[in-house]
Amino acid sequence: MANFFPRWTNWLPLKIAVCGVLMVGGLTAATWYYVTPKYTRVGYEPIQPVPFPHDLHVSQLGMDCRYCHSFVDVAAHSNLPNTQTCMNCHTQVQKDNPKLEPVRASWKTGKPIEWVQIHRTPDYVFYNHAAHVNRGISCFSCHGEINKMPVVYHAKPHSMAWCLECHRHPENFLRPDDQIFNLDWKPDDVKPAEFVSKYGKPVGVTDDWAQKKTLTQKEIGQTLKERWNIQPPINCQGCHR
Amino acid sequence: MKHVFQHPPESETGKRYWRGPGDLSNTPEFRDWLEREFPAGSAELQDDEWSRRGFLKLMGASMALAGFGLNSCRRPEAHLVPFTKSAEWTIPGKSLYYATAMPRRNGALPLIATTVDGRPIKMEGNPLHPSSGGATDIFAQASILDLYDPTRSREFLKKGKPADRAAFDGDIEKLRTQFQGDGGAGLAFLVEETHSPTRERLRTELERKYPSMVWSVYDAAASDAQQAATQASFGANTHLIPRLERADVVLALDSDFLDCGEGDVAGVRAFTSRRRISESKDSMNRLYVVENRFSLTGSMADHRLRCAASQIPAFTFALARKIADATTDAGLSAILATLPPSAGGTGFDEEWTTEAARDLVARSGTSLVLAGASQPVVVQLLVYGINSALKNIGTTLSIRDMARNPRTLSLLQLAAEIVAGRVKQLFIFGGDPVYNAFRGLAQDAETKQPLDWADLQKKVPQVIRLGYHVDATSALSHWHVPLAHYLESWGDALTAEGGYLSVQPMIMPLFGGMSEIELMNMLLGGPKVEGPELVQETFRASAPAGDFQTAWSKFLHDGFTAPVPARDRAAALNTAGAGSLGQKLWAATPAPTPESPEIVFVRSYSIDDGRYSNNGWLQELPDPVTKLTWDNAALLSPNLAQHLDVVTGDLLRISVIDAAKDAKGQQVTRELVIAALIAPGHADNSITIPLGYGRKMPGFDSLPYAGGAVEDNPMTADQIGFNAYLLRTVSNPHFIVADGKAVESVKVEKTGDKYPFSITQEHWSIEGRGLVREATLDRYRADSDFVKKIAGDDELPATLPSLYTHPAMDAVQQWGMSVDLNVCTGCSACVIACQAENNIPVVGKLQVGHGRAMHWMRIDRYFASEKGFEQDKREWPEDPEMVHQPMMCQHCENAPCETVCPVNATVHSEDGLNVMAYNRCIGTRYCANNCPFKVRRFNFFDYNQRPVGKKKIAGEFSTYNEYLGPLTSKGAPDIVKLQKNPNVTVRMRGIMEKCSYCVQRIEEAKIGARVRAGASSDTRIPRDSFTSACAQACPNDAIVFGDKADPESRVSKMKAQDRNYRLLEYLNVKTRTSYLARIRNPNPKMPDARKIGVASPKEQESNETVEHGDEAEREKGKLNPAGASQPNHP
Repeated sequence: MANFFPRWTNWLPLKIAVCGVLMVGGLTAATWYYVTPKYTRVGYEPIQPVPFPHDLHVSQLGMDCRYCHSFVDVAAHSNLPNTQTCMNCHTQVQKDNPKLEPVRASWKTGKPIEWVQIHRTPDYVFYNHAAHVNRGISCFSCHGEINKMPVVYHAKPHSMAWCLECHRHPENFLRPDDQIFNLDWKPDDVKPAEFVSKYGKPVGVTDDWAQKKTLTQKEIGQTLKERWNIQPPINCQGCHR
Repeated sequence: MKHVFQHPPESETGKRYWRGPGDLSNTPEFRDWLEREFPAGSAELQDDEWSRRGFLKLMGASMALAGFGLNSCRRPEAHLVPFTKSAEWTIPGKSLYYATAMPRRNGALPLIATTVDGRPIKMEGNPLHPSSGGATDIFAQASILDLYDPTRSREFLKKGKPADRAAFDGDIEKLRTQFQGDGGAGLAFLVEETHSPTRERLRTELERKYPSMVWSVYDAAASDAQQAATQASFGANTHLIPRLERADVVLALDSDFLDCGEGDVAGVRAFTSRRRISESKDSMNRLYVVENRFSLTGSMADHRLRCAASQIPAFTFALARKIADATTDAGLSAILATLPPSAGGTGFDEEWTTEAARDLVARSGTSLVLAGASQPVVVQLLVYGINSALKNIGTTLSIRDMARNPRTLSLLQLAAEIVAGRVKQLFIFGGDPVYNAFRGLAQDAETKQPLDWADLQKKVPQVIRLGYHVDATSALSHWHVPLAHYLESWGDALTAEGGYLSVQPMIMPLFGGMSEIELMNMLLGGPKVEGPELVQETFRASAPAGDFQTAWSKFLHDGFTAPVPARDRAAALNTAGAGSLGQKLWAATPAPTPESPEIVFVRSYSIDDGRYSNNGWLQELPDPVTKLTWDNAALLSPNLAQHLDVVTGDLLRISVIDAAKDAKGQQVTRELVIAALIAPGHADNSITIPLGYGRKMPGFDSLPYAGGAVEDNPMTADQIGFNAYLLRTVSNPHFIVADGKAVESVKVEKTGDKYPFSITQEHWSIEGRGLVREATLDRYRADSDFVKKIAGDDELPATLPSLYTHPAMDAVQQWGMSVDLNVCTGCSACVIACQAENNIPVVGKLQVGHGRAMHWMRIDRYFASEKGFEQDKREWPEDPEMVHQPMMCQHCENAPCETVCPVNATVHSEDGLNVMAYNRCIGTRYCANNCPFKVRRFNFFDYNQRPVGKKKIAGEFSTYNEYLGPLTSKGAPDIVKLQKNPNVTVRMRGIMEKCSYCVQRIEEAKIGARVRAGASSDTRIPRDSFTSACAQACPNDAIVFGDKADPESRVSKMKAQDRNYRLLEYLNVKTRTSYLARIRNPNPKMPDARKIGVASPKEQESNETVEHGDEAEREKGKLNPAGASQPNHP
């Protein structure tokens, strides 16, 4: 019995192999892209009971982050403001705005407002706000340009690899201690002469930075890292206990 | 080629350290425990759980169901809920600390409660108060679990039916009007001792208002013998306080004074303060112990004499005679003269007694003789006489004034009142008298039948019970009122020495419970209280200096009032009073025989008198001495066991036949069926039964309401352990011996049945040499480096080769731990503290039996003896010594576990910790197999997610409190979740875990230091500013944790001592935890001195300078000359 398999079947194994490689590769690539926090989390913008405009409060009215998130620099959690905090102003300002009805209702009934959580770490991750904001990491580094958001959304992926980017190279993110809550800060804002007189220079740098026009983030970060003895944990126990 | 590592050979002669009979005789079962991390089969589902096939079937079903559940892949929405108004002091995520105190039988323990988001999660000792010094015991640690007990009483019950608070208030109001009319005739209270001044004040007010009322105190584990003897010897209202820190020589007669569970943490600390040595020229106290069973005190003894508890009076007499002769003290001689000259028994080791007496006399004024509270009055009198003859009164034994209300009745007197029909309304606060009162308390007026408390309680027309659980007593009460936990109520308490403490609530009563003082206030008709008003009233009476509000705030903040300097009273022994009382009470007790052994009742180390029966942590805590979990047992000596032909686990029937016959002329017999446990070091012809087990509790047993019978079966399959209270009568409260007066005979026989125990003594056995190391003080002085000569540590090259590379341990602060075996009493407070801190689940009796207990920390108890065990002849070593060794992850620098993990779930940190990343662990258990210390624990099941409840195992005798298997509803009850420490991950099934050195505390301290540093470089954690949970709980500071890179830290100083050694040094694992060798201080003149504290054959060989050189010479001849401990490197 001749030619039981037609001729085209000669190529079949190769086709299957190529298809297999493409499919596996495609699946891997798709998973890599679509099932990682960079895709699944960034942009998450749930509907909140009250559409609190950060841009208005921070950029226009110039409120400090810590007016509402009052324990961010002392505790692990950055607390949400109590209804009381909202009502400090809104008994006088915008006191009839219908958007603020849930706040007024909460104030009347004593029932708290249920905000929808946006930035969520798994239960086995122990993140501490105070350890970051007291040591040169701005809100901006993890939450993005929150001062420009009409409604808050998830701006950064918050994946472990993303955390480690900074924990391995903190100099790329550190900023002067008086600029932590200034979300508009740019390295170009730093006046080199002032900076050097206040923080000095990293070991081994002989250039006269005071003569420079601007300092790069790396230069600023390296100076602060050495001056403040910044050693972020890159061991499991730093975040997983 | 596979290389099998050989441990250095152990020599044939010399002392052996062993954990149990299997270890001694090297049985296959023991090899299994020794050679594997988890014994064979522990990884498989057992027959009594789920068959593999059945399990796969179920898995298939759940996978299919999971497919249906895929319709929503979105992340579930979570909410953040802030307060509406700010709560004072509250910062989300930060702990708050409040001072409070735990009321206890012998005086309260000052505590600090850690609260998170308004819920208390952990108790620590109050470091400001000397009665605690920052330390706690197991009960204080475990009391937090009692607060969140899912089976605690949740509602008011009227005749067993739920009723509301208003109905109860109405009934009380009615009663109050009635009492006002008749002066409280028929009103009676039965309470437990709590040492609360506010309760005492309200009681006095009640007595003033209702003069006919009756107040009675009962505590199953307390004894009034000491009080009676003190009053006769030193006058009314006196109280004796031993000053152990001043004593050079202590002799304890059946006195377990080192048992922290009695709440006297300060007393234990005072004793160990004289055993803590830092170099060989330091001095130590010496402890003689005479007791029938191995107690924690016995395990610390330098010389221990086994003696039946009923023979302690005779022994005391013999000792007193010798001391009277040596000191020619008139007082003691006068007391002895009132007793019959034949009183001193024979059969004691004459030389032992003589030398002990000589040692005591030589240290007159700094010696101390203590008698256990369970010993009769006459022993207490003799002991006071001895202490007086030794001039110890006022030096090592202080006398304090302590007022007592003379109108307090005993339970027996209350029973008489009830029989006489004079009690109409009985208020029972706490306790569980139906369970733990003496049996045969009174006789029925008509039938002449003996009445138990349950019968008596049924005679009272109205019983109002304030109880924490709906237990057997509540089932016979007309009203059951939920009692508030001490962490839910305002109160106050006195310490053992009379210091005034505040008890403040951490949380509102979870189920609307009431406190005792609230109920008493209702009876008084006082205004309704919601806050501390009642306590404030008492506090005001103590006349605090300055502004009241300031003083009150300070009282709450500190937890105590400024300590009033305790004034010792000068008092001489009232020889005449003591003598006449002794004469009246002396009764010679015939020595127990194998045919009629004595039965001794002791408080359980784990669950006290039964009050912590529903506490899973305590039930699962291995008894510090027997290592038995979830049960009690009849402890008996190997000799008696051989006589009765029983082995551990055989059920015995113990029958006690009273001498008196009942009305019909029938013999009165009390019976108990209980499983036997062979306890090395137990006195012969004596059986010890811990009390507190076999209590009927909700959740184990459904209890019928009043009127219905609460039957006491001698053996109920649905209970935990065996109820020894069934044998206990007023005439024999602490031990039963056939004396011919109250008890005619005691019979013990085998029933033929077996009972399964879960004993952990051979679990997690470690193979290796020189695990525990000890020496006598003399040897230590002669050779301060003795510890290095054990297991060949001194012969190792300076650096051992290692195949593996490790990350640099380059952090500034390097963590390490030191455990001083010399002051570890084995109390296990650390084990419970670890469990509370680290969210360690309870797994149940059967799982413990399979070797799946989850304790991160265990206390290895070793017996030490010269003689081995001959299985065929069943000959056990007679007088073993005992050593406790706390064992937890040793944080090896060359950690064997790390090199075998395929997923890098266990790695090293730069500060020297061996850390676990739970979310990486895939559960291969390779790490556990490679751990030489067997400290890794595996979650075989979802212990945190599934309930632990009653389960009857097919073919087994008992019902277990057991993990119920994978098909039960998932999710822990909310009330259980409330206890969890939010800073520690709650682990799921399939995850390996182990001691983390409390990494959450380390990280918290690190973060704290960094936050404080802010824009500066000083990120160092201040020296010794925090510690691990075990070290914080330890009453004796045996465990010290800290920065070993800092030479000034406490842990570095401990590690610098010459007694310091590391386990399995020859394996080059470089452990971060090290131990300080135990030093015993035997009296060289004692007959048993030769074998005490002789650490190892190697040491015997090398040391010929000590007094028994000839013995050492003899031993040396038998030793292997090739060097007993030549390490063999892989």
